[in-house]
Parts: sequence; C-alpha cells; structure tokens
Amino acid sequence: MLRYLVLYGHFVRFSTSKAFEFRVDFFFRIFMDLIYYGVNIVFYQVVFLQTPLLGGWTRDQSLIFLAGYLVVDALTMTIFSNNLWWFPVAVNRGDLDYYLVRPVSALFFLLLRDFAANSFLNLLFALGILTWALVRAHMEMHGLDIAAYLLLLALGAWLHALMHLLVVLPVFWTQSGSSLHGIFYNLVRFMERPDRIYTGWVRKLLVTALPFCLMASFPARMFLEGFAWRLMAHFALVVAGFTVMVLSLWKIGLRSYASASS
Amino acid sequence: MIKARGLTKTFKVHKKQPGFAGSLRSLFVRNWEEVHALKGVDLDVEAGEIVGLVGANGAGKTTLVKALAGIIHPTGGTAEVLGHVPWRRHNEFRRQIALIMGQKAQLWWDLPAADGFLLLRQIYQVPEARFRENLARLVDALQVSDKLNVQIRKLSLGERMKMELIAALLHQPQVVFLDEPTIGLDLSAQRAIREFILDYRKRENPAMILTSHYMEDIESLCQRIVLVRQGEKVYDGSTVKLVEMYARHKVLTAHLQVGESPPDGPPRPDRMAGEILEWNGTALKIKVERRDAAGVAAQLLGNYSVADLSIEEEDVGTVIESMLKSGPAT
Repeated sequence: MLRYLVLYGHFVRFSTSKAFEFRVDFFFRIFMDLIYYGVNIVFYQVVFLQTPLLGGWTRDQSLIFLAGYLVVDALTMTIFSNNLWWFPVAVNRGDLDYYLVRPVSALFFLLLRDFAANSFLNLLFALGILTWALVRAHMEMHGLDIAAYLLLLALGAWLHALMHLLVVLPVFWTQSGSSLHGIFYNLVRFMERPDRIYTGWVRKLLVTALPFCLMASFPARMFLEGFAWRLMAHFALVVAGFTVMVLSLWKIGLRSYASASS
Repeated sequence: MIKARGLTKTFKVHKKQPGFAGSLRSLFVRNWEEVHALKGVDLDVEAGEIVGLVGANGAGKTTLVKALAGIIHPTGGTAEVLGHVPWRRHNEFRRQIALIMGQKAQLWWDLPAADGFLLLRQIYQVPEARFRENLARLVDALQVSDKLNVQIRKLSLGERMKMELIAALLHQPQVVFLDEPTIGLDLSAQRAIREFILDYRKRENPAMILTSHYMEDIESLCQRIVLVRQGEKVYDGSTVKLVEMYARHKVLTAHLQVGESPPDGPPRPDRMAGEILEWNGTALKIKVERRDAAGVAAQLLGNYSVADLSIEEEDVGTVIESMLKSGPAT
C-alpha cells in the first residue's frame, strides 16, 4: 500500500512538471473549466427565476448540489479522465505489454499514471464554490456532516471512473478505440441534474444499472435531507457491485489481450 | 530457468475481401480465420545462455516471447519460468524478469531518463545503494551519463535504446527477453549494445532470449539458436553446428599466379562445378556444393598454379535464410 502511495507521488510530480512545461495549454484548460462552472451556476440562477423548487430543492440547496457535482467532476478530471481517455489506445497499441511485466498492478498504471494538474486547480475552485454555497445557505451543520458529504462525493467520483472503465473495457474484444467513449460522455450528463427531476423507469435505471444519478445526487440528498440508512445501503451496494464487476471484467479482458504485435 | 512444453497460440482474425464492397460485406458477414501463431513449441533455456530466436516476420517469435514473459495467455501447452507459470504474473516472477522491445518504448516520452529510472526503482523496490551502484555502472558502460537529464523524446534512437536497456536491467533480472533490441540502430550503437549484453551476462549469469533480424547480433551473442518457421521449431542447437549440418555450399577463394602460363590454357572456371561469385582473371571466388568442395579444390590446384587457396563455410545468415525458405537440408 505504502509502495503504491509513493508511486502515486511520483506520478503526481512527473505529470505536474510536464503540465507546467506547456503553460498556455495549462492555463487555457483551467480557464475553459471555469467558464463551464460559471455557465452551470448561471443556469441554476435562471431556472430559479421560474420556479421556487427543483427536484424538491430550493435555490440554495440546488447550489450545494451543483457545487457537489462540480467537485465530483473536478476529482475525476484530476485523477482518472485523461487516463481513461487513453485506455483503449494503450490496449490497442500494446502499451499494456510493459505494464504487465512489472511487479505492480497494470490497472494501477493505466488508471492513475497521468495526474491532471490543471484540473487539480479546478478542484480547488470547485471546493471554493462549495464553501460559498454552504455559507450562503445559512444552514445548521457540523464539520462532520461536511466531511461525510466530501467522502460520499469521493465515492461518487470512484463510481464515475468505474462506469467509464466499464464502457472502455470492451476494447479487449472489439479492438476499436475511442468510439466507446461516446457512450459514456452521453450518459454522464444525467449526473449533472438532481435525480428527482427524472421519474418512472428512467429514474429506476439511473439509480441502478446506469447509476449516474447516484454520483452527485445521493451525496447531496444525504447532506441536505439527513442521513438515511436505506439511501446509504443503496449507494454502497451499487458502488461495491460495480467495483467487483469492473475488476472481474478487467481480469477476463486480460485473458483475451492479444497484444499488438511488433 | 525457462522451460516450455507444447506451447500453442491461436488467434482469430477476420478475413476481409479486398475493395470497398469487401469492407461493406465485412460489416455484416465475417469470415473468421484461425491463425496458428505457435504450433506446439518446446524450449529450454539455462542460466547464462543467450538463445537466438530467429524466424521470418510472423513466424511466431514475438508471440513466444510474450507468452514466456506472461503478457499473453497461450491457447495450450505449459511453461515454467523461474519456477512460475508466467501468465499467472506473480509479483515474485515479475520482479526477476525484464522485457526489452526495440519497437516499443517503455520509458515515458516526456520525462528525462533519470526520472524514469527513479520510478523503476520504486516499482522494483531496489534498495537505494544498490540502485545507485547499478545505475552508475550501466550508465558508464553505455556512455550516456551526459544524457540522463534530457527528455526521452529529445534523444537519438540509439541513445533512447541505451536508456531502455538500462531501464530494463536496473533491477538485475535473472531472465531477460530482448525483442529486436538493435532494430534501426547504426553500426556503432549496435556494437555498443552487443558488448553491453555480453557484459551483463558475464556479471549476472541470466537466461536470455534474443530475437533479431541482424545476423551479427545472433552470431556475436548466441551460442545457441532456435529457428521458428510458421509457428514451429525447425532447429534448436548450437550456431556452429547449424552451419556444419545445414550449410549446402562452401566458398572457395583462389588467387592464381599471374604470368605463368597455365598448363591447360587460360583458366576456364565456368567449366567447374559451382557458381562463380567473382572472377577477374587472377582472383576467383566460387560457390560449390559441399561434397564437391574437395574435388574442385583439387582441380584448381592440379590445373592452375595457385598462389593462395581458402575454403570457407557459408555464413550463418545465408544458411538460416535458406532453411527458413525451404526447411532443413536433407
């Protein structure tokens, strides 16, 4: 475990110094994400000009949800997104060969080797927005509540990464690269809005088999509406289930790995 | 150290008919074809041995190496490397092997080699003192100390390959797979890498498998050679013996005395059995069937005044080439 932490420390150091080298790109990416954050905040302000409640939440509560979503987004962008983007390429080109001969989990390399330093700054901004949303809501809350919220958001980010991985893993059999991402990027948009705006079987699907509504909405619901065992069990079960499923699929995939010939 | 029995590997590939119509057809109907990359290969390699794995493109060399390094699962057969089944990929196994592929970089493109080495030290848990000592020795042997802090993408191909070798050997592996380590390199870099590999063998006594299309690599590094053709092993034995057993020809080189009138009129080498490689009136180079060599030599010596005569074996590359085309000579 310690060894993996030290290795991750190296990844962070290398990725960061690489990111600083291309500084125009670095600042541009941060700027783009900030625009995205701004657009989202304005979106909610506009929605609440028309209605007092959205999915059962007031404007202040919705902003806390939004800030939570932005934290999940920034977390995945910082840690996983770049790596998952390159995942099919690494499998197709045979880069995986070198990871497989090392005495370290190959999945660890594929999922974590690139740390997005620019997104890390955005993560700090997202946490800033969360603080702002919490302060303006004038809610009664404990430090422990906030810590629990952040922890649940981190689990949401992990679920986000798992779903993306699930979508790209078929590359072991299809050998086709980035078309797989499209599925994920379309589905992931369901995470951006409160889960209760969806109803019927769509909602059922979005909290079980395609759990995009769990990633940001469930943590926010537990924070805003109080801890509920049922909700927590649901959330934990889905995260655990997908973890097991994705890891098994990865192992099955490796058995079929043909490795690009040289 | 390496022991493989009856390794087979079958890939399924779909066969597309040529042209756009064929592409359209393949969208709906696929003709799957089985490609047998390995058809039951046995192989044993002991510590201290460098085995040259030779074959045409697509003969199955790389597949064999990848199965033994644990990257791919074979379809059938068994293998044991350092007492482990390679494709189970135990960490204990992976800590003791190394793989170097001339066509694929392992060091990260945007990092200087020195950073890559630090990462590898963590991955393999090489103790600090040993790491320093190994690194200093390897860098010194390949003379790249001034390039350690240059990003990999800014290095020449030869320098990059040297860095790749250092990266692969820092943890002192007991089994080393070298897949075309000298591909595309200039002669001096090739030579440096060969010497380096020999030096590593002397020091660590590892089992090594080398594939290469350069015969100089094979001749200077491998006492033993394994020929694969279409997934099958067609020869496994010493390099010297290969030539003795399978060379079909010998090359006779004779220098004739100028000025003296030959007893039989001007030399007519075209009347002799064999293929003339060179003839300029005094120097004659002729390729003859092995069994004819003595006869032709006698003929030369008897009919002409010969200043110098030598009989040479065909070189390894030629023998291998003819074997890969048509199978072992009978």
